[in-house]
Amino acid sequence: MRLSLALPLTTGLFLLAVLAHLGFFDLERLARGMRNLGILGSEMLPPDVGILPTVGAALWETVEMSFAGTLLGFLASLPLSILSTRRLFSSWISGIARFIAAGIRTIPVLLWAIIFVILVGLGPLAGTLGIAAYTVGYLAKIYADLFEGTDPEIMEAVRSTGASKLQLVRFVILPEAANAVLAQVLFMLEYNIRASSVLGFVGAGGLGFVIQIYLQSLDYQRLATILLLVLVIVLVMDGISAWLRKHFLLSAQAS
Amino acid sequence: MTPTGDGTPAVQADRVWFAYRNRDWVLRDVSLSVPAGKHTVIMGPSGTGKTTLLRVLGAILKPADGRVSVFGETVHELDPRRLSALVGYVPQQLGLVRNLSALDNVLMGSLGRIGDAKAMLALFPREELGRAEAALEMMGIAYKRSEPVFRLSGGERQRVAIARTLLQHPRIVIADEFASDLDLALASEILTRIRRAAEKENITFIMSMHRIGLARQFGDNVLALKHGEMVPGFIGNEILETPRAEETL
Repeated sequence: MRLSLALPLTTGLFLLAVLAHLGFFDLERLARGMRNLGILGSEMLPPDVGILPTVGAALWETVEMSFAGTLLGFLASLPLSILSTRRLFSSWISGIARFIAAGIRTIPVLLWAIIFVILVGLGPLAGTLGIAAYTVGYLAKIYADLFEGTDPEIMEAVRSTGASKLQLVRFVILPEAANAVLAQVLFMLEYNIRASSVLGFVGAGGLGFVIQIYLQSLDYQRLATILLLVLVIVLVMDGISAWLRKHFLLSAQAS
Repeated sequence: MTPTGDGTPAVQADRVWFAYRNRDWVLRDVSLSVPAGKHTVIMGPSGTGKTTLLRVLGAILKPADGRVSVFGETVHELDPRRLSALVGYVPQQLGLVRNLSALDNVLMGSLGRIGDAKAMLALFPREELGRAEAALEMMGIAYKRSEPVFRLSGGERQRVAIARTLLQHPRIVIADEFASDLDLALASEILTRIRRAAEKENITFIMSMHRIGLARQFGDNVLALKHGEMVPGFIGNEILETPRAEETL
Protein backbone atom coordinates (compact mmCIF):
# COMPACT_ATOMS: atom_id res chain seq x y z
CA MET A 1 0.00 0.00 0.00
CA ARG A 2 1.23 3.47 -0.90
CA LEU A 3 -0.19 5.14 2.17
CA SER A 4 1.80 3.00 4.60
CA LEU A 5 5.07 4.36 3.21
CA ALA A 6 3.97 7.92 2.44
CA LEU A 7 2.89 8.78 5.96
CA PRO A 8 6.09 7.85 7.86
CA LEU A 9 8.20 9.42 5.09
CA THR A 10 6.38 12.74 5.23
CA THR A 11 6.46 12.72 9.03
CA GLY A 12 10.20 12.03 9.00
CA LEU A 13 10.96 14.84 6.53
CA PHE A 14 8.77 17.23 8.49
CA LEU A 15 10.61 16.37 11.72
CA LEU A 16 14.03 16.92 10.05
CA ALA A 17 12.93 20.28 8.67
CA VAL A 18 11.64 21.46 12.04
CA LEU A 19 14.77 20.29 13.87
CA ALA A 20 16.99 22.12 11.36
CA HIS A 21 14.95 25.27 11.89
CA LEU A 22 15.39 24.93 15.65
CA GLY A 23 19.20 24.73 15.30
CA PHE A 24 19.50 21.04 16.01
CA PHE A 25 22.15 20.49 13.32
CA ASP A 26 24.44 23.29 14.53
CA LEU A 27 27.23 20.85 15.45
CA GLU A 28 29.50 23.43 17.03
CA ARG A 29 26.69 24.48 19.36
CA LEU A 30 25.84 20.90 20.24
CA ALA A 31 29.46 20.13 21.12
CA ARG A 32 29.53 23.18 23.39
CA GLY A 33 26.34 21.90 25.02
CA MET A 34 27.91 18.55 25.73
CA ARG A 35 30.93 20.23 27.33
CA ASN A 36 28.65 22.34 29.50
CA LEU A 37 26.69 19.27 30.53
CA GLY A 38 29.91 17.75 31.82
CA ILE A 39 30.76 20.87 33.80
CA LEU A 40 27.23 21.15 35.21
CA GLY A 41 27.25 17.48 36.17
CA SER A 42 30.56 17.75 37.99
CA GLU A 43 29.43 20.90 39.82
CA MET A 44 26.29 19.08 41.02
CA LEU A 45 28.27 16.29 42.62
CA PRO A 46 28.17 15.39 45.34
CA PRO A 47 24.71 16.64 46.29
CA ASP A 48 24.71 18.73 49.43
CA VAL A 49 22.39 16.84 51.79
CA GLY A 50 23.07 19.31 54.60
CA ILE A 51 20.15 21.41 53.40
CA LEU A 52 17.58 18.63 53.96
CA PRO A 53 16.27 19.98 57.31
CA THR A 54 15.89 23.46 55.79
CA VAL A 55 14.03 22.39 52.67
CA GLY A 56 11.86 19.84 54.50
CA ALA A 57 9.15 22.41 55.09
CA ALA A 58 9.14 23.51 51.45
CA LEU A 59 8.96 19.90 50.34
CA TRP A 60 5.99 19.20 52.58
CA GLU A 61 4.29 22.34 51.28
CA THR A 62 4.68 21.07 47.71
CA VAL A 63 3.08 17.74 48.60
CA GLU A 64 0.22 19.49 50.41
CA MET A 65 -0.38 21.83 47.50
CA SER A 66 -0.57 19.07 44.96
CA PHE A 67 -2.88 16.86 47.04
CA ALA A 68 -5.28 19.66 47.95
CA GLY A 69 -5.17 21.17 44.46
CA THR A 70 -5.81 17.86 42.72
CA LEU A 71 -8.70 16.98 45.02
CA LEU A 72 -10.29 20.43 44.70
CA GLY A 73 -9.93 20.35 40.94
CA PHE A 74 -11.35 16.84 40.76
CA LEU A 75 -14.45 17.81 42.78
CA ALA A 76 -15.04 20.87 40.63
CA SER A 77 -14.51 18.94 37.40
CA LEU A 78 -17.32 16.46 38.12
CA PRO A 79 -20.30 18.82 37.76
CA LEU A 80 -18.64 20.54 34.79
CA SER A 81 -18.03 17.25 32.98
CA ILE A 82 -21.56 16.02 33.67
CA LEU A 83 -22.98 19.25 32.24
CA SER A 84 -20.69 18.74 29.21
CA THR A 85 -22.19 15.30 28.50
CA ARG A 86 -24.26 15.67 25.36
CA ARG A 87 -26.15 12.46 26.06
CA LEU A 88 -27.68 14.06 29.17
CA PHE A 89 -28.01 17.75 28.36
CA SER A 90 -28.99 19.82 25.36
CA SER A 91 -26.23 20.92 23.00
CA TRP A 92 -26.71 24.41 24.42
CA ILE A 93 -25.83 23.49 27.99
CA SER A 94 -23.09 21.01 27.08
CA GLY A 95 -21.64 23.52 24.61
CA ILE A 96 -21.31 26.21 27.27
CA ALA A 97 -19.83 23.77 29.78
CA ARG A 98 -17.30 22.52 27.21
CA PHE A 99 -16.39 26.09 26.31
CA ILE A 100 -15.69 26.92 29.96
CA ALA A 101 -13.52 23.81 30.36
CA ALA A 102 -11.62 24.62 27.16
CA GLY A 103 -11.07 28.18 28.38
CA ILE A 104 -9.64 26.99 31.69
CA ARG A 105 -7.44 24.48 29.89
CA THR A 106 -5.95 27.12 27.60
CA ILE A 107 -4.08 28.74 30.50
CA PRO A 108 -0.96 26.79 31.59
CA VAL A 109 -0.56 25.96 35.25
CA LEU A 110 2.29 28.45 35.80
CA LEU A 111 0.11 31.25 34.48
CA TRP A 112 -2.74 30.16 36.76
CA ALA A 113 -0.32 30.37 39.68
CA ILE A 114 0.61 33.94 38.71
CA ILE A 115 -3.07 34.88 38.44
CA PHE A 116 -3.78 33.48 41.90
CA VAL A 117 -0.70 35.16 43.38
CA ILE A 118 -2.22 38.42 42.14
CA LEU A 119 -5.64 37.47 43.54
CA VAL A 120 -4.80 35.95 46.94
CA GLY A 121 -1.19 37.00 47.49
CA LEU A 122 2.10 35.08 47.73
CA GLY A 123 2.22 31.61 49.25
CA PRO A 124 0.97 28.06 48.92
CA LEU A 125 -2.73 29.03 48.73
CA ALA A 126 -2.07 30.59 45.32
CA GLY A 127 -0.26 27.44 44.21
CA THR A 128 -3.06 25.18 45.43
CA LEU A 129 -5.69 27.19 43.58
CA GLY A 130 -3.54 27.29 40.45
CA ILE A 131 -3.18 23.52 40.47
CA ALA A 132 -6.90 23.12 41.11
CA ALA A 133 -7.78 25.36 38.16
CA TYR A 134 -5.52 23.50 35.77
CA THR A 135 -6.87 20.16 37.03
CA VAL A 136 -10.47 21.25 36.43
CA GLY A 137 -9.77 22.11 32.81
CA TYR A 138 -8.02 18.85 32.12
CA LEU A 139 -10.29 16.43 34.01
CA ALA A 140 -13.55 18.07 32.87
CA LYS A 141 -12.59 17.36 29.26
CA ILE A 142 -11.39 13.80 29.88
CA TYR A 143 -14.42 12.93 32.02
CA ALA A 144 -16.93 14.45 29.61
CA ASP A 145 -15.57 12.29 26.79
CA LEU A 146 -15.57 9.30 29.11
CA PHE A 147 -19.17 9.86 30.24
CA GLU A 148 -20.31 10.25 26.65
CA GLY A 149 -18.90 6.84 25.90
CA THR A 150 -21.31 5.17 28.34
CA ASP A 151 -23.02 2.22 26.68
CA PRO A 152 -26.29 3.66 25.28
CA GLU A 153 -28.14 0.40 25.97
CA ILE A 154 -27.49 0.72 29.68
CA MET A 155 -28.68 4.33 29.60
CA GLU A 156 -31.86 3.32 27.78
CA ALA A 157 -32.56 0.38 30.05
CA VAL A 158 -32.16 2.40 33.25
CA ARG A 159 -33.93 5.44 31.81
CA SER A 160 -36.91 3.20 31.06
CA THR A 161 -37.21 2.49 34.81
CA GLY A 162 -38.21 6.14 35.14
CA ALA A 163 -34.81 7.26 36.46
CA SER A 164 -34.06 11.00 36.44
CA LYS A 165 -30.90 12.53 34.96
CA LEU A 166 -29.29 12.80 38.37
CA GLN A 167 -30.12 9.16 39.09
CA LEU A 168 -28.61 8.13 35.75
CA VAL A 169 -25.40 9.92 36.72
CA ARG A 170 -25.35 8.25 40.12
CA PHE A 171 -26.22 4.71 39.05
CA VAL A 172 -25.03 4.39 35.47
CA ILE A 173 -22.52 7.00 34.37
CA LEU A 174 -20.29 7.16 37.45
CA PRO A 175 -20.17 3.41 38.23
CA GLU A 176 -19.54 2.53 34.58
CA ALA A 177 -16.69 5.05 34.36
CA ALA A 178 -15.35 4.46 37.90
CA ASN A 179 -12.11 2.78 36.85
CA ALA A 180 -11.10 5.43 34.38
CA VAL A 181 -12.18 8.24 36.73
CA LEU A 182 -9.86 6.95 39.45
CA ALA A 183 -7.01 6.26 37.04
CA GLN A 184 -7.16 9.81 35.67
CA VAL A 185 -7.17 11.41 39.15
CA LEU A 186 -4.05 9.43 40.05
CA PHE A 187 -2.38 10.47 36.81
CA MET A 188 -3.27 14.08 37.53
CA LEU A 189 -1.87 13.81 41.07
CA GLU A 190 1.48 12.56 39.74
CA TYR A 191 1.53 15.31 37.15
CA ASN A 192 0.68 17.98 39.74
CA ILE A 193 3.46 16.89 42.09
CA ARG A 194 5.98 17.56 39.33
CA ALA A 195 4.24 20.75 38.23
CA SER A 196 3.95 22.16 41.75
CA SER A 197 7.70 22.00 42.29
CA VAL A 198 8.15 24.91 39.88
CA LEU A 199 5.22 27.05 41.06
CA GLY A 200 7.49 28.63 43.68
CA PHE A 201 9.26 30.42 40.79
CA VAL A 202 6.34 32.82 40.74
CA GLY A 203 5.92 32.97 44.50
CA ALA A 204 3.16 30.39 44.76
CA GLY A 205 4.78 28.32 47.51
CA GLY A 206 6.59 25.01 47.71
CA LEU A 207 10.01 23.83 46.54
CA GLY A 208 10.13 26.13 43.52
CA PHE A 209 11.21 29.10 45.60
CA VAL A 210 14.21 27.17 46.93
CA ILE A 211 15.07 25.85 43.48
CA GLN A 212 15.07 29.40 42.15
CA ILE A 213 17.41 30.63 44.87
CA TYR A 214 19.94 27.82 44.29
CA LEU A 215 19.74 28.32 40.53
CA GLN A 216 20.44 32.03 40.77
CA SER A 217 23.31 31.57 43.22
CA LEU A 218 24.76 28.80 40.99
CA ASP A 219 24.62 26.48 44.00
CA TYR A 220 24.34 23.31 41.93
CA GLN A 221 25.19 20.81 44.66
CA ARG A 222 22.18 21.99 46.64
CA LEU A 223 20.03 22.06 43.51
CA ALA A 224 20.95 18.42 42.88
CA THR A 225 19.63 17.49 46.32
CA ILE A 226 16.30 19.14 45.53
CA LEU A 227 16.01 17.38 42.18
CA LEU A 228 16.69 14.08 43.91
CA LEU A 229 14.01 14.90 46.47
CA VAL A 230 11.46 15.54 43.71
CA LEU A 231 12.45 12.24 42.15
CA VAL A 232 11.87 10.48 45.49
CA ILE A 233 8.42 12.03 45.90
CA VAL A 234 7.42 11.09 42.38
CA LEU A 235 8.58 7.52 42.96
CA VAL A 236 6.67 7.34 46.25
CA MET A 237 3.57 8.72 44.49
CA ASP A 238 3.97 6.10 41.76
CA GLY A 239 4.05 3.44 44.45
CA ILE A 240 0.96 4.80 46.19
CA SER A 241 -1.03 5.07 42.97
CA ALA A 242 0.03 1.57 41.89
CA TRP A 243 -1.26 0.29 45.22
CA LEU A 244 -4.52 2.24 44.85
CA ARG A 245 -4.99 0.91 41.33
CA LYS A 246 -4.42 -2.64 42.46
CA HIS A 247 -6.85 -2.43 45.36
CA PHE A 248 -9.59 -0.17 44.09
CA LEU A 249 -9.78 -0.63 40.35
CA LEU A 250 -12.25 -3.31 39.39
CA SER A 251 -10.89 -5.85 37.00
CA ALA A 252 -13.94 -5.80 34.78
CA GLN A 253 -12.77 -7.75 31.79
CA ALA A 254 -16.21 -9.21 31.12
CA SER A 255 -18.15 -8.07 28.11
CA MET B 1 -57.82 1.36 36.53
CA THR B 2 -57.91 -2.34 35.74
CA PRO B 3 -56.47 -2.63 32.30
CA THR B 4 -57.08 -6.33 31.90
CA GLY B 5 -60.50 -7.83 31.48
CA ASP B 6 -62.20 -5.06 29.55
CA GLY B 7 -60.75 -6.20 26.24
CA THR B 8 -58.37 -3.27 25.79
CA PRO B 9 -55.18 -4.64 24.19
CA ALA B 10 -52.02 -4.28 26.28
CA VAL B 11 -50.15 -2.85 23.30
CA GLN B 12 -51.51 -1.71 20.00
CA ALA B 13 -49.61 -0.41 17.00
CA ASP B 14 -51.56 1.28 14.21
CA ARG B 15 -49.90 1.73 10.83
CA VAL B 16 -46.45 2.44 12.28
CA TRP B 17 -43.65 3.61 10.00
CA PHE B 18 -40.09 4.11 11.16
CA ALA B 19 -36.76 5.03 9.54
CA TYR B 20 -33.36 5.84 11.11
CA ARG B 21 -32.37 7.69 7.93
CA ASN B 22 -34.66 9.67 5.76
CA ARG B 23 -37.27 7.39 4.10
CA ASP B 24 -35.07 4.31 4.47
CA TRP B 25 -37.95 2.45 6.10
CA VAL B 26 -37.14 -0.15 8.72
CA LEU B 27 -40.78 -0.58 9.73
CA ARG B 28 -43.43 -0.31 7.03
CA ASP B 29 -47.04 0.11 7.96
CA VAL B 30 -46.83 -2.21 10.96
CA SER B 31 -50.09 -2.85 12.81
CA LEU B 32 -50.38 -5.30 15.64
CA SER B 33 -52.34 -5.93 18.78
CA VAL B 34 -51.01 -7.66 21.87
CA PRO B 35 -53.72 -9.06 24.16
CA ALA B 36 -53.34 -8.29 27.87
CA GLY B 37 -52.15 -11.07 30.11
CA LYS B 38 -50.85 -13.16 27.20
CA HIS B 39 -47.24 -13.58 26.16
CA THR B 40 -46.43 -12.53 22.65
CA VAL B 41 -43.35 -13.62 20.77
CA ILE B 42 -42.16 -11.73 17.71
CA MET B 43 -40.12 -13.85 15.32
CA GLY B 44 -38.24 -13.08 12.17
CA PRO B 45 -34.82 -13.34 10.55
CA SER B 46 -32.07 -11.08 11.87
CA GLY B 47 -31.89 -7.59 10.41
CA THR B 48 -35.59 -7.57 9.80
CA GLY B 49 -36.50 -4.83 12.25
CA LYS B 50 -37.47 -6.77 15.40
CA THR B 51 -35.30 -4.66 17.70
CA THR B 52 -36.58 -1.47 16.08
CA LEU B 53 -40.19 -2.63 16.46
CA LEU B 54 -39.68 -3.42 20.16
CA ARG B 55 -37.99 -0.06 20.73
CA VAL B 56 -40.88 1.72 19.06
CA LEU B 57 -43.39 -0.27 21.14
CA GLY B 58 -41.41 0.63 24.28
CA ALA B 59 -41.42 4.35 23.35
CA ILE B 60 -37.63 4.50 23.12
CA LEU B 61 -38.00 5.43 19.45
CA LYS B 62 -40.72 7.67 18.07
CA PRO B 63 -42.41 6.44 14.91
CA ALA B 64 -42.35 8.66 11.82
CA ASP B 65 -45.99 7.93 11.31
CA GLY B 66 -48.67 5.91 13.06
CA ARG B 67 -49.50 5.43 16.72
CA VAL B 68 -48.49 3.09 19.52
CA SER B 69 -50.70 2.78 22.58
CA VAL B 70 -50.47 0.82 25.81
CA PHE B 71 -53.78 0.11 27.51
CA GLY B 72 -55.29 2.80 25.34
CA GLU B 73 -52.79 5.56 26.17
CA THR B 74 -50.54 6.88 23.39
CA VAL B 75 -47.02 6.05 24.58
CA HIS B 76 -45.25 9.08 23.15
CA GLU B 77 -47.50 11.42 25.09
CA LEU B 78 -46.81 9.80 28.46
CA ASP B 79 -44.34 11.37 30.90
CA PRO B 80 -41.32 9.12 31.67
CA ARG B 81 -42.42 8.10 35.16
CA ARG B 82 -45.94 7.16 34.04
CA LEU B 83 -44.46 5.26 31.12
CA SER B 84 -42.07 3.40 33.44
CA ALA B 85 -45.04 2.22 35.50
CA LEU B 86 -46.59 0.74 32.35
CA VAL B 87 -43.68 -0.57 30.28
CA GLY B 88 -40.41 -2.20 31.28
CA TYR B 89 -37.72 -2.66 28.62
CA VAL B 90 -34.89 -5.20 28.59
CA PRO B 91 -32.44 -4.53 25.73
CA GLN B 92 -30.60 -7.30 23.92
CA GLN B 93 -27.36 -6.76 25.85
CA LEU B 94 -29.50 -6.37 29.01
CA GLY B 95 -28.24 -2.92 29.98
CA LEU B 96 -26.88 -3.87 33.40
CA VAL B 97 -24.30 -1.69 35.17
CA ARG B 98 -21.25 -3.95 35.30
CA ASN B 99 -19.45 -2.50 38.30
CA LEU B 100 -22.50 -2.64 40.58
CA SER B 101 -23.81 -5.68 42.44
CA ALA B 102 -26.77 -7.78 41.28
CA LEU B 103 -28.86 -6.32 44.12
CA ASP B 104 -27.94 -2.72 43.23
CA ASN B 105 -28.89 -3.37 39.63
CA VAL B 106 -32.25 -4.79 40.66
CA LEU B 107 -32.87 -1.85 43.00
CA MET B 108 -32.55 0.45 39.99
CA GLY B 109 -35.94 -0.88 38.94
CA SER B 110 -37.42 1.24 41.74
CA LEU B 111 -35.77 4.53 40.67
CA GLY B 112 -39.01 5.77 39.12
CA ARG B 113 -40.58 5.83 42.60
CA ILE B 114 -37.64 7.32 44.49
CA GLY B 115 -36.66 10.96 44.95
CA ASP B 116 -33.28 12.28 43.78
CA ALA B 117 -31.94 13.06 47.26
CA LYS B 118 -32.52 9.53 48.58
CA ALA B 119 -31.21 7.96 45.39
CA MET B 120 -27.97 10.00 45.54
CA LEU B 121 -27.18 8.46 48.93
CA ALA B 122 -28.42 5.05 47.73
CA LEU B 123 -30.96 5.11 50.57
CA PHE B 124 -33.54 2.70 49.21
CA PRO B 125 -36.66 2.28 51.37
CA ARG B 126 -36.82 -0.96 53.34
CA GLU B 127 -39.81 -2.23 51.38
CA GLU B 128 -37.98 -1.72 48.06
CA LEU B 129 -35.05 -3.73 49.41
CA GLY B 130 -37.46 -6.49 50.41
CA ARG B 131 -39.03 -6.46 46.96
CA ALA B 132 -35.62 -6.55 45.26
CA GLU B 133 -34.62 -9.57 47.35
CA ALA B 134 -37.91 -11.24 46.46
CA ALA B 135 -37.41 -10.57 42.74
CA LEU B 136 -33.90 -12.07 42.88
CA GLU B 137 -35.35 -15.04 44.75
CA MET B 138 -38.07 -15.50 42.16
CA MET B 139 -35.46 -15.58 39.37
CA GLY B 140 -33.32 -18.02 41.37
CA ILE B 141 -30.29 -15.75 41.68
CA ALA B 142 -30.60 -14.47 45.28
CA TYR B 143 -27.42 -16.27 46.35
CA LYS B 144 -25.39 -13.97 44.06
CA ARG B 145 -26.97 -10.73 45.28
CA SER B 146 -23.66 -9.11 46.29
CA GLU B 147 -21.63 -10.17 43.26
CA PRO B 148 -20.76 -7.41 40.80
CA VAL B 149 -22.45 -8.03 37.48
CA PHE B 150 -19.16 -8.38 35.60
CA ARG B 151 -18.52 -11.58 37.53
CA LEU B 152 -21.87 -13.15 36.58
CA SER B 153 -22.40 -15.59 33.73
CA GLY B 154 -24.68 -14.87 30.78
CA GLY B 155 -27.62 -16.76 32.27
CA GLU B 156 -27.19 -15.10 35.66
CA ARG B 157 -27.21 -11.68 34.03
CA GLN B 158 -30.47 -12.47 32.24
CA ARG B 159 -32.04 -13.30 35.59
CA VAL B 160 -30.78 -10.06 37.14
CA ALA B 161 -32.10 -8.03 34.20
CA ILE B 162 -35.57 -9.57 34.53
CA ALA B 163 -35.52 -9.09 38.31
CA ARG B 164 -34.76 -5.38 37.78
CA THR B 165 -37.69 -5.06 35.41
CA LEU B 166 -39.98 -6.92 37.85
CA LEU B 167 -39.09 -4.40 40.56
CA GLN B 168 -40.29 -1.67 38.23
CA HIS B 169 -43.82 -3.20 38.52
CA PRO B 170 -44.69 -2.54 34.89
CA ARG B 171 -47.87 -3.86 33.27
CA ILE B 172 -45.90 -4.87 30.19
CA VAL B 173 -42.33 -6.10 29.78
CA ILE B 174 -40.60 -5.87 26.40
CA ALA B 175 -37.47 -8.02 26.08
CA ASP B 176 -35.27 -8.07 22.99
CA GLU B 177 -33.81 -11.44 21.88
CA PHE B 178 -34.12 -12.64 25.42
CA ALA B 179 -32.25 -15.82 26.37
CA SER B 180 -31.14 -16.17 22.75
CA ASP B 181 -27.50 -16.86 23.50
CA LEU B 182 -28.15 -19.41 26.25
CA ASP B 183 -28.30 -23.14 25.75
CA LEU B 184 -31.79 -24.52 25.38
CA ALA B 185 -32.15 -26.10 28.84
CA LEU B 186 -31.03 -22.94 30.63
CA ALA B 187 -33.14 -20.67 28.43
CA SER B 188 -36.13 -22.89 29.06
CA GLU B 189 -35.62 -22.79 32.84
CA ILE B 190 -35.36 -19.00 32.87
CA LEU B 191 -38.42 -18.63 30.66
CA THR B 192 -40.40 -20.90 32.99
CA ARG B 193 -39.46 -18.66 35.91
CA ILE B 194 -40.51 -15.63 33.89
CA ARG B 195 -43.92 -17.19 33.14
CA ARG B 196 -44.43 -17.86 36.83
CA ALA B 197 -43.45 -14.30 37.74
CA ALA B 198 -45.65 -12.90 34.98
CA GLU B 199 -48.68 -14.81 36.22
CA LYS B 200 -48.11 -13.73 39.80
CA GLU B 201 -47.68 -10.05 38.92
CA ASN B 202 -50.13 -10.06 36.02
CA ILE B 203 -47.59 -8.85 33.47
CA THR B 204 -47.89 -9.06 29.70
CA PHE B 205 -44.60 -10.12 28.09
CA ILE B 206 -43.48 -9.24 24.57
CA MET B 207 -40.26 -10.88 23.43
CA SER B 208 -38.41 -11.20 20.20
CA MET B 209 -36.84 -14.60 19.55
CA HIS B 210 -35.38 -16.53 16.71
CA ARG B 211 -35.67 -20.08 18.08
CA ILE B 212 -38.96 -21.72 17.30
CA GLY B 213 -38.78 -24.25 20.12
CA LEU B 214 -38.54 -21.52 22.75
CA ALA B 215 -41.15 -19.40 21.01
CA ARG B 216 -43.57 -22.31 21.11
CA GLN B 217 -42.85 -22.93 24.79
CA PHE B 218 -43.16 -19.33 25.86
CA GLY B 219 -45.52 -17.59 23.48
CA ASP B 220 -49.29 -17.70 23.71
CA ASN B 221 -49.27 -15.64 20.60
CA VAL B 222 -46.59 -15.60 17.90
CA LEU B 223 -46.17 -12.80 15.38
CA ALA B 224 -43.70 -12.68 12.51
CA LEU B 225 -41.89 -9.73 11.02
CA LYS B 226 -40.07 -9.86 7.69
CA HIS B 227 -38.37 -6.96 5.91
CA GLY B 228 -40.09 -4.55 8.29
CA GLU B 229 -43.57 -5.81 7.56
CA MET B 230 -45.85 -8.10 9.52
CA VAL B 231 -46.26 -11.49 7.89
CA PRO B 232 -50.02 -11.76 7.34
CA GLY B 233 -51.80 -14.78 8.73
CA PHE B 234 -48.87 -15.62 10.99
CA ILE B 235 -50.69 -15.02 14.20
CA GLY B 236 -51.12 -18.31 15.95
CA ASN B 237 -49.10 -20.87 17.78
CA GLU B 238 -50.58 -23.62 15.61
CA ILE B 239 -48.76 -22.32 12.52
CA LEU B 240 -45.50 -23.20 14.20
CA GLU B 241 -46.55 -26.82 14.25
CA THR B 242 -46.33 -27.01 10.48
CA PRO B 243 -42.92 -27.62 8.96
CA ARG B 244 -43.45 -24.71 6.57
CA ALA B 245 -43.13 -22.23 9.39
CA GLU B 246 -39.40 -22.53 9.43
CA GLU B 247 -39.24 -21.82 5.73
CA THR B 248 -41.43 -18.77 6.19
CA LEU B 249 -38.77 -17.20 8.37
